[in-house]
Amino acid sequence: MSAEGSGKRIAGGWAVLGGLLFAAVLISLTVGQIMITPAELLRGLMSGTGPGSLTLRVLRGPSTLTAVGAGAVLGASGTIFQILLRNPLAAPDVMGFMSGAGCAVVAGVAFGLLIPLPILAAIGGLVAALLVAGLSFHRGARQSPLTLILVGIGIGFFASAVSSFLVIRMPPQEAADAQRWLTGSLTARNWGHVLQVFGLGALLSIILALQVRAMALLELGDELAAGLGARVGRARYGLICTGVLLATVGVAVAGPVPFVAMMAGPLGMRIAGVRHPASRLTAAAIAGATIMVLAEVISRSAIPGLQLPVGVMTGIMGAPYLLWLLWKEVEAGEV
Amino acid sequence: MSQTGLTTTSLTLGYRERTVLRDLSIAVPDQRVTSILGPNGCGKSTFLKALARLIAPASGQVLLSGDDIGKIDTRALARRLSILPQSPKAPDGITVSDLVRRGRTPWRGLLAPWSEEDARICRQALEQVDLSDLADRPIDELSGGQRQRAWIALVLAQNTPYLLLDEPTTWLDLAHQLEVLSLLQKRNRDHGTTVVTVLHDLNLAVRFSDHLILFGGKGLVAEGAPEVVITPENLQAAFGLKALVMPDPLTGRPMIVPH
Repeated sequence: MSAEGSGKRIAGGWAVLGGLLFAAVLISLTVGQIMITPAELLRGLMSGTGPGSLTLRVLRGPSTLTAVGAGAVLGASGTIFQILLRNPLAAPDVMGFMSGAGCAVVAGVAFGLLIPLPILAAIGGLVAALLVAGLSFHRGARQSPLTLILVGIGIGFFASAVSSFLVIRMPPQEAADAQRWLTGSLTARNWGHVLQVFGLGALLSIILALQVRAMALLELGDELAAGLGARVGRARYGLICTGVLLATVGVAVAGPVPFVAMMAGPLGMRIAGVRHPASRLTAAAIAGATIMVLAEVISRSAIPGLQLPVGVMTGIMGAPYLLWLLWKEVEAGEV
Repeated sequence: MSQTGLTTTSLTLGYRERTVLRDLSIAVPDQRVTSILGPNGCGKSTFLKALARLIAPASGQVLLSGDDIGKIDTRALARRLSILPQSPKAPDGITVSDLVRRGRTPWRGLLAPWSEEDARICRQALEQVDLSDLADRPIDELSGGQRQRAWIALVLAQNTPYLLLDEPTTWLDLAHQLEVLSLLQKRNRDHGTTVVTVLHDLNLAVRFSDHLILFGGKGLVAEGAPEVVITPENLQAAFGLKALVMPDPLTGRPMIVPH
C-alpha cells in the first residue's frame, strides 16, 4: 500500500472504517427476533455451547460472514470500474454484469444444468460484459464511459427480463425461491457459502493486487500509462475480467444485490480519505462489507415477523444515491 | 546515419487512410534540447508520439540506439524514454507526491517494496520543479503553472535519458512558460537528458533549444541549429508567414518579428 499525504488523518479514517464494519457485524450478530448480548456471543465463542454459540455457528454467523464477503467483493468490483471509466456510475450492478450473472444462474436452475453456481454466475457476468463492449463499439472511435454505462443499463434490463421470464415458467415454490434470490438474498446461508465467497474472493484479490500498479497508471490516461511501461490494452482487459469475476463471486452467494458495488467505493474513499487505487479498493471492500451487513440486519429485523430480501434494503439505500449522482451529472452537463 | 540516439528511418505516419508525414529520416541529437515546430495540423504531435511509440508507423522505423522501438519491451522502453502527453488529466484528489511516485513504476519489480532510491529520486524530482513544499497538496488545488510542474516531476521521476514533452507550455502565461522551459533546459545541462518538445511559440523555442525540427503543411521544411532553421524563407514555407529575422538583443540567437 502506498504512503499518502497526511498520515494521521488517514490512519483515523481507516480506524473509522474498520470500526464501522466491526459495529455492523456486532449488531448483525446480536440483533434479531431473539436478542443475544455480546457477552453471550463471547461465551459461546469460548465454550462452544449455549445460545451464543448456536447464533455464531448456525443462526447468524454464516449469513453475517457471507454478507461481509459478498459486500467486500462487490465493493472492490465497483471501484475497479469506477476507476477505469472515471465515473461514479460505473459499477457491475448498474452496468448489467450482475443481472447477467443472475440470469445465467436462473437459467441453469430452470434448465437443470449441473454446473456449479459460481461458474454459471461468472459465465453470465462475462457474457454481459462482452455484450456491453460489443454493443457500444464504434469503428475507430473510443467508447465514451457514459455510452458504456447506458448500454450496460440496457443489458441489465434485458437480463432481468429474461430472468423474470424463466422464473414465471418455474413451478411455484421454485419460482418463489428464485425470485427472492434474484432480488438479492442472504437467508439460510451456511458455512459452504462463507468458504466459497472468501476463498474465491481471496484468489481474485491476489490477482487484483498484481494488477493494481497498472491500474494506478491507467488512471493517468492511456498515453501516459503506456509511456510509464503499462501494456494498456492488456492491463485494461485483465482488470475488467477481475472486476466482473469479483462481482459474480458476490452474486453466487447473495444474488444480484443492487447498489452495493456502486455505493461502496465513493463511501469508503471519503471515510478513509484515500486516493491511490490500492487504498481505494481496500476501503471499498470494507465499506461494501459494512453496507451489506447493515442491509442484511435491517432487512430481517425492520418488519417483525417478515424477512425481506437484502436487495430490497440495498435498493432503498442505493436508489436515492443513484438519483443524486444522476442529478449531479446532469448539472455538470454530462448527460 | 548514426546508430546512436533517437532516429527515424523513412518514417511515414498517418491515421487510417490519411498520411500525415511521409518518409522522414531525422536524427534527434543526443543530450541536447530539441524543439519540434510547425503550424497546427502539420503533424508535429503525431511525430512526437511516434518517437515515443504511442502510435505505430505506417511504414519505416523509429530507432533508439539502433533498436527498433517497436520491438523493445514496454517496461524496458519506459526506463529509457519518457513522454508527457499534452494536457494530461489527473485523477480527482490525487496529491503531488502520489502522482510523482507513480513515475517510479517502470523501475520497480512486481513485488519490490518502495526503496530508498525511489524516495530519493522522487524528492529530487520535486526539488527540480520547486514543488517540495506542496508535495502533500492535491493537484486540483494547484495553479496552472504548478500543476504542469507536477506533471513534469512525474516524468523526471521516471529518470530516463530521453524525455519527450508534447506542448508542455500550453495554457501557461509567459512567465510560467519560461519557468517550465528553463527547468527542462537545466535538466538537460545537469543530467545530460535528451529533451524533445513540441512547442508553439517560435521565439521561446529558439531561446531554449539547441536543435529545431520545422514542419510545414507538406512535411519537413528544415532541421538543424536555430540559426540554420529560422530564416524568412523557411518561415514562409512552413507557416506562410512574412517575418523579419534579427538577432535577439539578449542572446544573439535569431528572433522572429512578424510583418
